[in-house]
Amino acid sequence: MEVNVDQGKLAKALAIVSKIATNGKATLPILSNVLIKVLDSKVTLTTTNLDMAVVDYLPTSKSKNGEITVPARLLADFVANLPKGEVKISAKDTKITVTSGKYKSVMNGSDASDFPELPELNEKDSVIYKIPVEDFKESMSSVKIAASNDTTRPALTGVYFNTADESLFVAATDGYRLAEKKIISGVSSEVKAIVPANTITEVLSSISEEVEEVEILFDESEVCFRLGEIEITSKYIDGSFPDYRKLIPEKSDVDLILQKSDVLRVTKLAALFAREVGGSIILETSASEGVLKVSSVANEYGENVSELNTEVSGDIKVVFNSRYLLDALNVLSEEEIKIGISGSLQPVKIENSKQNDYVHIVMPLKG
Amino acid sequence: MFDVWKNVLESLKQQISHEKFVTYLQKTSLENVEDGVAKIGVQNIFMQINVRKNFDTLIIKALNDNGLKVKSTEYVVQNNTNRVRKSREVSIKDIINNTKQKPKNNRIIENNPPIRLSLSTGLIPEYTFDNFVVGTNNDVAVFTAKAVVDDPGGKRNPFFLYGKSGVGKTHLVQAIGNELLKKNPKLKILYTPINRFYADFIDSIKSKKPEAFSKKYNHLDVLIVDDFQMIIGKEKSQEEFFNLFNEMYLSKRQVIVTSDRLPDEIKDLDVRLSSRLTQAGAFDIQLPSFEDKCAILQAKAEFNNHEIEREAIEYIAENVKTNIRDLNSEYEKLLTFAELRNMTPLEIINSGYANSSPSVRRNSTTPKKIIDKVAKYYEMPVSTMLSKSRVAHIKNARQVAMYLMQNELGLSTTKTARELGLKDHTTVMNGVKRINNEMKMNFKLREEIGTLRESIYD
Repeated sequence: MEVNVDQGKLAKALAIVSKIATNGKATLPILSNVLIKVLDSKVTLTTTNLDMAVVDYLPTSKSKNGEITVPARLLADFVANLPKGEVKISAKDTKITVTSGKYKSVMNGSDASDFPELPELNEKDSVIYKIPVEDFKESMSSVKIAASNDTTRPALTGVYFNTADESLFVAATDGYRLAEKKIISGVSSEVKAIVPANTITEVLSSISEEVEEVEILFDESEVCFRLGEIEITSKYIDGSFPDYRKLIPEKSDVDLILQKSDVLRVTKLAALFAREVGGSIILETSASEGVLKVSSVANEYGENVSELNTEVSGDIKVVFNSRYLLDALNVLSEEEIKIGISGSLQPVKIENSKQNDYVHIVMPLKG
Repeated sequence: MFDVWKNVLESLKQQISHEKFVTYLQKTSLENVEDGVAKIGVQNIFMQINVRKNFDTLIIKALNDNGLKVKSTEYVVQNNTNRVRKSREVSIKDIINNTKQKPKNNRIIENNPPIRLSLSTGLIPEYTFDNFVVGTNNDVAVFTAKAVVDDPGGKRNPFFLYGKSGVGKTHLVQAIGNELLKKNPKLKILYTPINRFYADFIDSIKSKKPEAFSKKYNHLDVLIVDDFQMIIGKEKSQEEFFNLFNEMYLSKRQVIVTSDRLPDEIKDLDVRLSSRLTQAGAFDIQLPSFEDKCAILQAKAEFNNHEIEREAIEYIAENVKTNIRDLNSEYEKLLTFAELRNMTPLEIINSGYANSSPSVRRNSTTPKKIIDKVAKYYEMPVSTMLSKSRVAHIKNARQVAMYLMQNELGLSTTKTARELGLKDHTTVMNGVKRINNEMKMNFKLREEIGTLRESIYD
């Protein structure tokens, strides 16, 4: 195997694929390697952790077919530090030689046949969606935060892609909060699939500037995200996602229209005093005064009360985890936001005041 | 039984590197062995491919070494037997869109098959008598419905069914249709909401193609019309419906009509049509009683294999006062919460998170409200109703109020007597007893109480 590639492009590709390569301790050594495959003047770089796989295609000027695996991080770090220009990689037996001008290094690798085989995507039978990259980024990051880390409940550690009313939605919940975003409308195919939140994180961090569109392919047994020359294939999470739509309140007793920066400020202030009570803060509305009071009490440090003036239609008190509220506020795209409260134990709805394609539900704490 | 797998893994462990074993094999399981095929569970699609590729021969050998006669293997992703599945079943939406264009890709990945709707009959096969719970609120209607199935076009033609929305009218008439079709698959049955009938009629006039309309509606053996009350003020379609109705009735073909009210309460309905519709009687489905609601939920839980405590069912039944549709949605919601929180339904209720919907929160009425509403309903001043008058209709109103206080608020006889300004609680006992007896026979009273039961929660 022999191949010549541009240093900049190679460094960038290796940086992306090497992220999911394991560091080689505790697991199968081959999983810390990158598979380099040269076929008909095309170079493919592949890594996998057996939950997902990342593949990147690179153009090459001069090549001889062949394949080999070498430690991904080592190669990535080495190439990143080479000067601009052309890099030559050649393989013999289980060793590769990387040359760039006067720099040369020989690395021990292992045979490509040891590398795990990857599931083949059945593109013809897949449901395919194309999403403008900015929409994709916003949707995924605003929903992913609500996913759970609790691996004993696998279905909740994923982002749920589902179609309803001819639209594609993504949703995530950890049982205490829930986020849902409508990504595209007017779709005719149907999908219900839970994609690991880790995969989504990986996809988001692999999107480079040139990518304009994210293509998602739902195959029967795996999902694939295409980002330009990069392909990330992942397993689904087994199990069924809760029928979450029932939990989204249609109406709230009190709807507050507020400025996001104001709410962020008072929530952060209250959170400072809420540390010893696990971050719980109190939201209280007063119709007669027309205010939302945000307060917290810390026996040791003192207490904090802030007021925001707004139109208020009823008196309601609800106790909240400030972190959940902050998370929700941080992903809203508009400055003017709406908070719907219904009672001390009812779900609270947080959304943009104008755009209605995103909802965030937070369950209150028992005060 | 599959301790064998432990031994198999133990022997594989000796043959391959520790890392390979941990990565690929440690979390596998033996699902079953049938006809020489061992089904082996793996974690995901990546494992599926690579376990087969790397270890298949070793695994088959190890299985045989451990006394299982295995010729080949099958690797399945655990818990994945149902979840991701290609479905050729068509959903309702597809049928509606059918006329426009076939979706390019109608692959469905989901647990439950969508409700299927037969295009030609409008019947949904899932609506049957088997999953319709019979209670005191609907027993007469169900009995009559079965009589229609036994003798379509006979004594119970037309079958007029009425009741508030969400009590199960559509389910019952669909069940009749499905049962008839089961008995005689050749029957031409059409289920249609009156709106659709109206729209078809307008279309036929606009497009000047009456053939399509008559092809759909003439020559039917059974016609089921839902939501008949929506016909209000559409004279032309009323006339058309009247003609169709007459033709079917005269040739002894069955007509089934549902409505949320009696025909004479439908504004501007032709008097002739109105009287014809109910000439074989009008049958109602009332709001279910507490026991009925429990029975409905119990049946639903058993049907779907849901785990839910008796107390949780009683809680929902107690708190949802509106209709069966709300009852079902409250039940579903509770189960979703329970699943989400990894708690039992009862624990969810006890934690206070359950009562989030308006249908549950409507649960507040007072003795005073009942007195006011009943007096207003029977068009008399509260003072008259609470007087000691023995005049029949006044006494009746008073007794209805007693009945509602006991049944809806669960007040004791003594307390009810006090609220109504009565000295003797036996008066209440006798009054409630009379209403209970009377309701069995008197459909008008049943309906009045049904309406009042709704209005006292407004």
